Amino acid sequence: MAHDTAVPKLSFQYWLDKAVEWGQTTTLESQQDVCLHLPKLQEFLQQIYESLKHMNSTTAIQRFPLIGQLLGRLCWNPFVVGYDESQKTLMWCLCCLYSNEPQNPVELKANSWILSLLCHLLSSSEWGANEVGTGTFISALGYTSADYYSKLVKNIVLSLVTELKGNQFNGLNVQGRVSDDHVNVVSLFCVPLITLPDVTPLLEALLTYHGGGSQEVLSSEFLEAVNETFLKKKITLSESAILSLWLRHLPSLEKATLHLFGRLISTQTSSLEEVACIIKESLLPQAACHPPIFRIVDEIFKNALLETGGTPEVMTIIQVFTQCFVQAHQKDNKQHKFPLKAYFPHHHHHLVIALLKHPFDLPATLWSQHLKYITDMLKAIIEDKSIRSYTDLFESWFLFVHFGEWADIAVEQLLKSEDESSDTFLWLLAFYYNPHNDKEQRTQILVEARAVYDRLMMLFSCTTLSITDLQAAASTKTDKRQSCTKHLVRHLLISFLLFSSGGHKIAQEFISHVILASNTTNEVFGLLIRTAYRFNQLGLKNQRTVKLVNELLQELRFTD
Amino acid sequence: METLLWQVEQLPGLLAVSRSGQVRDWDPPTLDRALQWGRYFQHLHGRFRAQPRLRAALGQRLRRGQQEPPLGFGHLGRCPELLGLALLGNRALPPAACHRLLRSLLLPPSGQATPGPCSLGLLARRRAAVQLLLPPPSPALARPEELELEPSLRTEAQLLLSRLQEDEEEEQGLAGVLEHLPGPRVYRVLAALLLEQAGDNAGREGASWAELREGPRLAAAVLSWLLGDPGRLSAFCRLLPGSLLVALSARYPQLGTPYLHLLTSWGSRLCYDPLRGQWASSRCPSEDELSWEELRERFSCFMRGPAPLREAALASLKNLKIQDGDFEVCGLSVWTDLLLEMEAPL
Repeated sequence: MAHDTAVPKLSFQYWLDKAVEWGQTTTLESQQDVCLHLPKLQEFLQQIYESLKHMNSTTAIQRFPLIGQLLGRLCWNPFVVGYDESQKTLMWCLCCLYSNEPQNPVELKANSWILSLLCHLLSSSEWGANEVGTGTFISALGYTSADYYSKLVKNIVLSLVTELKGNQFNGLNVQGRVSDDHVNVVSLFCVPLITLPDVTPLLEALLTYHGGGSQEVLSSEFLEAVNETFLKKKITLSESAILSLWLRHLPSLEKATLHLFGRLISTQTSSLEEVACIIKESLLPQAACHPPIFRIVDEIFKNALLETGGTPEVMTIIQVFTQCFVQAHQKDNKQHKFPLKAYFPHHHHHLVIALLKHPFDLPATLWSQHLKYITDMLKAIIEDKSIRSYTDLFESWFLFVHFGEWADIAVEQLLKSEDESSDTFLWLLAFYYNPHNDKEQRTQILVEARAVYDRLMMLFSCTTLSITDLQAAASTKTDKRQSCTKHLVRHLLISFLLFSSGGHKIAQEFISHVILASNTTNEVFGLLIRTAYRFNQLGLKNQRTVKLVNELLQELRFTD
Repeated sequence: METLLWQVEQLPGLLAVSRSGQVRDWDPPTLDRALQWGRYFQHLHGRFRAQPRLRAALGQRLRRGQQEPPLGFGHLGRCPELLGLALLGNRALPPAACHRLLRSLLLPPSGQATPGPCSLGLLARRRAAVQLLLPPPSPALARPEELELEPSLRTEAQLLLSRLQEDEEEEQGLAGVLEHLPGPRVYRVLAALLLEQAGDNAGREGASWAELREGPRLAAAVLSWLLGDPGRLSAFCRLLPGSLLVALSARYPQLGTPYLHLLTSWGSRLCYDPLRGQWASSRCPSEDELSWEELRERFSCFMRGPAPLREAALASLKNLKIQDGDFEVCGLSVWTDLLLEMEAPL
C-alpha cells in the first residue's frame, strides 16, 4: 500500500520511547525536550492520520501495533495536547480507531478506551467527580466544559499578566510575588500555546517583562518559538512586544532580518511599493528606531552587500529600507528620540545631513546643486590622502547606498540638463557602481562612461532613432568592461529611453529586442521600478515618461 | 408560532435523554436527527436573541420541562455542545451510533458536510493550556485576596453571573437557579461573585467581567437571596472562613449584622466544662454549632477588620456579657471569656 511508506515503522518506536520518557519525568530538561520535538511530532501525527483514514480499525491496529500505546500516552501530555493543532490530529486518529461494529472483546475494550481518552481530552464526563464539584456546578448552570475552559484560560492568563505587571512595578525593593524561576517556567509552558489567541496577552506581558537581575528570565525555547511563529505570521503581537523580543534576544533579530531579506529576494515583487509594504509589515523599520537594533540590521545589510558583491537588488532593498526607517522615525513620537544622524555614525556629519535630505524635501531646481554638494564631499573623502584606508572608502560608499535615490536623480540630471556638472555626476555614478579604490580603474570607467554619455547626448535631440544607432552609441571599444561599467551604461541607456523624444519611440522595441536578449531583464526591471517608485512618490501621474515607464514595466511583467 | 413553541418544549426532554440509558436504542440515523435538532435550536437562538418578547416566550416554554435547575433561552444557543458532550460521555450509546457521533463531532468536515457543531479541538487545547498554566491550588483560602486570585472559582462565579443575567433578561427571578445549585460549592462561588462585584472591585479588571455590566446589581440581589433564609445564611457562614466573611461584611454592610447574630447564637450554645476547664459543644451536638476555638478565631477576624466592624463586634460582646451578669470571672459567661481573649493581644 502506498500509504505505508509514509509512516516508517522506526518512527513509532522512536516516538513511543519519547512519550514514555516525557511521561516519567517532569524535570525542566524533559519539558524543554518536549517543546523542542513538538513540530516534528505534529508532522508525524499528521502522517499517521493520513494513513489511518483509509483503513478500518482492525487493519490499523494490525499494521501499527504500537499506536494505542503511543496515542494513549500523548493524550496525557499537556504539552502535546496544547501544541498548535496536535490535539485535533490526536482526536482524529482516535476516531479512526473506533470500530462501529466491534466483533470481539478486544475491540469492545478498545472502543471503551478510546471514549475514555476523548472524555479525558474534552472533560465531557467525570469532571464533576473532582472533590470541589466544579463539573456538577457548571452543568447545573446549563454550561459545558467548553464554556468553562474558555473563560478559565482567560482568567488564568489575566491573573498571570496582573502578577507580572505587579512585579514589574514593585521593582527591586519590594519582594515580588513571582520569582524569576517561575517566570522562566511559565515562559517554557507557553511554548506549545503560542498560537492560542487566549494566551496572546500573556505572551506580550512576558516579552516586556524583565526580572530583577541582568540575566534573561525567559526561556530561549520560548523566545525562539515566539519569533518563529511571528515570522510565519501565525500570530499578531503588539509592536512593543516584538521590539522587546528583538532587543532582548539577538538571534531573533538576526533571524527576522534574514527572513525579511529572504522574502524580498524570493518573492516576485512587481513594484517598490510592494517591497516597501513587505518591509513595513516586518516591523523592522519601526524597531530600528532603537539604535542598537538599527545597527544590527544595518550590519546584516552590509554583509549581504559584501557577499553579493554589491548586487543592484540588494542596493535597492537597502535604499527602500532606509526610506521606511526614516518614515518610521518621523512617526515615532517618543520624547527622547535620537536624531537621525546618530544612526549613521560617519565621520562626516555634513555628508550624513546632506544625504538625509530627501529629494522631495527640495525643489527640483535645487537637486543639481545639492548633488554637487554631496559629490564634492564624497570626492574629498575618497581622495583625501590621510584617510585612504579601504574601510573609510567602503563606509562612505555604504552610506551613499542607503540613499541610492540620489544616484537615480544624478542620471536623470545628466540627461535632462546638459550642464557643466556632468563630470561630477558621472563621477558619482562611477563611485556608486564601483566603490573600489583603484584610481586607474575609476579613470577607465569614467572615460568609457563619458564616451557613451557624449554619444547619447548627440542622439538626444534626434526625433527618429534606430535600435542600431542606440546600440552603437552604448557600445565601447574595449570589451573587457567590468560589470560595474555595464551597470552604469545600462542605467544611462534606460534613462535615455525614458527622457529623450527619440528614445521614447523605440523604447518598447529596444527593451524587447535588446534587453530581453541580453539576459539583463532583472536589472532593467529593477531600474524601472525604482523610477516608477520615485515618480509615484513625487505624485506624477499623467506625464508621458510616467506612462512609458508603466508600459515598459507591464511588458516586462508579462514576459516574465 | 405554536409549532415553534412546541419544538422548543422538546429540548429539555432531548437533553435528558442524551444523558440517560435510553440512548441504548439509538441507531446512526437517530443520532443524526438529534444532532440536527441541536443545530436547529442553535439557529433559533441566533434568530431570536435580539427579540426580547420571543425570547421570554421561548424561555418560559423551556422552563416547563421541570428540570432542576430550570433551563433558559441560553440553552438553545449552547445546545450542540450540551448535546454532543453529553452523548460523548454516555456509555450507553451503541457503537454504531457512537461511531457516527465521533465522526460528526470531531473529524474535519469533508466537502459538503456541515461544519462540526462546536470546536472541540479548541476545547481540548484550552484544557491543556489550563493544565500548563494553572498554578497549584493554594492550600488554604485564609486570606480573601487569595480567593480573588483563584481563577477556577472566579470562572464559576462569572458563569453563574452570566446565567443569572440571562434569566433576568427573560424576567425570571434568580431563586429558580440558585436554589438548585449543588452545595457546598455554590456558597464558595457566591462568595467569589460577591467579592468580585463589590464596588471597589467591579470593573477593575474590565476584560473578563465586561460583558456582565449588571454585575453589582445582581450581586446585591444574590446577597438578599442569601439573607432571605436563615438556613442558607448559616450554611454560607459555616463554610466560609472568618477572614473572608469579614472582608465581605466590610463591602456589604447588610451582611455584617446577620453574621454577628449567627456567631452569638452559635456561641450561646457552648457550655463550660468545669472538669476540663474549657468551653465545649452542648451534649447533643447539632450541625449548627461552632467549637470554642473556631468562635474565637472568627471574632478575632472582626478585631483585625475595619474599625466599624471591630467596634460592632466588641459592642455586641460587651452587651452580651452584661446580659450574662457582667462577671469578670472566667468560665461563667462565654462572652466574658471571648472579650478577654479579644482584648488580651490588643
